Amino acid sequence: MIRFIITRLLNGVVLLFAVATIAFFLLYWGAGDIARQILGASASQETVDLKAEQLGLNEPVFSRYGEWLSNAIHGDLGASWFTNQPVTEAITSRMGVTLSIVIGTVILTAIVATILGVSAARYGGWRDRTLQVVSILGLAIPGFLIAIFLVRIFAIELGWLNATGYIDFTDSFTGWLKSVTLPIIALSIGAMAAVAQQVRGAVKDAMRQDWVRTLRSRGISENRVVYKHVLRNASGPALAILALQFVGLLGGAVIVEKVFAIPGIGQISVTATTQGDLPIVMGIVVFTAALVVVINLSIDLLLGFVNPKVRLS
Amino acid sequence: MFTRKRAAIVATIAAAAITLAGCSGSDSEETTAPTTGAATSDGAMAAPEGTLTLGTLVPVTTFEAANAAWANESPYMQAVYDTILRADPDGTIVAGLATDWSWDDTNTVLTMTLRDDVVFTDGNPVDADAAAQSILRFQGGTSPQASSLRFVEDATAVDAQTLQITLSAPDPALTTMLTQNAGMVESPAAFDSADIATNPVGSGPYTFNAEESVVGDSYVFDVKADYWKPEDQYYEKIVMKVFSDATAMLNAIQSGQINGAKLADNTTIPQIEGAGWDIVSGELNWAGLLLTDRDGALTPALGDVRVRQAINYALDRDGLLQAAAAGYGTVTEQIFPTFSTSFDESLDATYTYDVEKAKQLMADAGYADGFDLTIPYTPAFGATIFPIVEQQLGEIGITVELDEIAVTDYISGILGQKYSAAFMQLQQDPSDWQIAQFQIVAAAAWNPFNIEDPKVEELAGVLQTGTPEEAEAAGKELNAYLVDQAWNAPLYRNQSTFVTDANTDAQFQVVNAYPYLWTIKPTN
Repeated sequence: MIRFIITRLLNGVVLLFAVATIAFFLLYWGAGDIARQILGASASQETVDLKAEQLGLNEPVFSRYGEWLSNAIHGDLGASWFTNQPVTEAITSRMGVTLSIVIGTVILTAIVATILGVSAARYGGWRDRTLQVVSILGLAIPGFLIAIFLVRIFAIELGWLNATGYIDFTDSFTGWLKSVTLPIIALSIGAMAAVAQQVRGAVKDAMRQDWVRTLRSRGISENRVVYKHVLRNASGPALAILALQFVGLLGGAVIVEKVFAIPGIGQISVTATTQGDLPIVMGIVVFTAALVVVINLSIDLLLGFVNPKVRLS
Repeated sequence: MFTRKRAAIVATIAAAAITLAGCSGSDSEETTAPTTGAATSDGAMAAPEGTLTLGTLVPVTTFEAANAAWANESPYMQAVYDTILRADPDGTIVAGLATDWSWDDTNTVLTMTLRDDVVFTDGNPVDADAAAQSILRFQGGTSPQASSLRFVEDATAVDAQTLQITLSAPDPALTTMLTQNAGMVESPAAFDSADIATNPVGSGPYTFNAEESVVGDSYVFDVKADYWKPEDQYYEKIVMKVFSDATAMLNAIQSGQINGAKLADNTTIPQIEGAGWDIVSGELNWAGLLLTDRDGALTPALGDVRVRQAINYALDRDGLLQAAAAGYGTVTEQIFPTFSTSFDESLDATYTYDVEKAKQLMADAGYADGFDLTIPYTPAFGATIFPIVEQQLGEIGITVELDEIAVTDYISGILGQKYSAAFMQLQQDPSDWQIAQFQIVAAAAWNPFNIEDPKVEELAGVLQTGTPEEAEAAGKELNAYLVDQAWNAPLYRNQSTFVTDANTDAQFQVVNAYPYLWTIKPTN
């Protein structure tokens, strides 16, 4: 197990290096006139040239890459060209915001999707048909549309929840709940639809297996068969899709954070990319790639934990 | 069957919903703008109270005065810095840190007397030496407005309270620039500090609360004790929240999370008015087709004034304003703003939409069969303006090729002489002299082909050195000349909109994207 983890982590480092290198050259070769973009139409050419010099934009791209890589290895990802905030600070202060929404979404998705999926697989009938229809709707309707609808009802009309912004749970738990509830629901709908379908299919497949019949013939209660044995057996595919959803939700957070004006990674990703704030974009690439490596490794370990058949050692 | 267990679940959910709905207190995002001002009805000063939450469009680029931006960043700067002079909403220059000021006979030496009761947040006094150093640092910095001090030869402290600025040539815009970022005074003790970009050391009415702020998202300012102008401090706290999405801003407005906001998108105005908010608007920029290649270096046809006039006749300004700006603005054919003495309303009827006349002018110029014209295209200006311009110029035989380029390359593409014409929005500067320097004279940044016209240079010279009467006459003549020569094809002036809730008042600041901070106050 230890060897597996070390191997995967080393692979992750190589992946991280490759992603960062490719991203750097793609971004810097297509960057455009960043100094002019920062200073706008009213700045004189002399001022623009001075800004470009200060940012090192006149240096050859390979030289800039070498400097960036050297600094990055030492933990210095530079500072935003547009706000002067250190990149590491900009990302770490926002990563918590995004993760709290994404993790909340994953938890809500896991609970609701399991209930819906198991219910549809176990009872069939109207429950199953309803799940099919709701899943199609959930996958078909874009998250941002759901977000706009939810804001209109629960924030503007009823005033129960916050329309925009984020409150840290260390400042106020209820404030945090009011600020993340709508984004989490908006993000969850699509994920729930996908995971519930996966759970339903996996549970249905498992319930057709001989060992389930054997368990039943031994007089074990149906609840015990389903929740202790079948669900555990079916959890592999569900966890795999949930892991994929987790990574996908980091992307989905881009739109939701923009609509809810939440200062997370998604919001800064859009802003930095649009502006051409390359140090921030590079920082996000590195952090996100690292996060994906860690998540995938964690899911592999979790799969082994819940289902001994795939135990990795 | 509705079992006890299910009932318990439903009850729990209901309780959670009620708890959420009933949440109030410290976590509430409800804004708490006071309903009374800093000065009470009997003239006595009331203590600042409540929180003002403003919606902004851009974050702070830097708090370092020497490199600071203005326009949409002005509220951040005005919270923490004082300026040497100030401007009223109509642009009239009034006292700031300087209580009086005068020019010498050559209009090249400006002598100013500064207040003696102002201190920086680091405890050092605001004096003439700090002001002089700030001016010189700004001149050598990378603020977008750094070149506005290009005529400054030196700035010195004659004594602790007397500042003297020496120019290489008269600059009618200098005092105006000293009301903006060029006039911000920063503590010299902070010049070399490592965190100068994120930790401002000024003398403004508020202090930056870095702990409660999220860089790029929300900036919090606390009222400063013993400020020299307490009548400008209406609120205990000001929060400036950045909105990069128009829908998010609209949601914040409609749910009462903010008290005032600069709109990025005028199409939301009906909904905002429907929510009971007030509109504070003015016009900052002119938008239109820059005809930069007036000597015909890239496109020979543009060297003929009749072709440029034909382009002006061929564009349906009313239709373009409606299509591109939802009708929020005013059509125009001149680049000078309505507040300028050079503005002449009658000039706006020079090129009334007339396709037949445009075709005739094209034929007279020898271009009856038209010509090809490449203009840069970026979605940043919206999807409608470019195809309409393409279609309308196509009607008189001009085949427009839209060259799509990245938004980061748009301005440098135009200024780099890559295009003969381009759609652009340019600021309407406070003075005619600045407009000439920015857009008209041979050395102007927005005269990218550096085309020199003796008449233009002569009139611009009068704007710089003439008496007010001479300058006014020269400005009028210059404006009429530019319209007659179809220097560009101006289309309309955009409406710039700030909105306020029922508890908040604001005044539009002429030529600035954001109302000046001290004009945003509680409703009487």
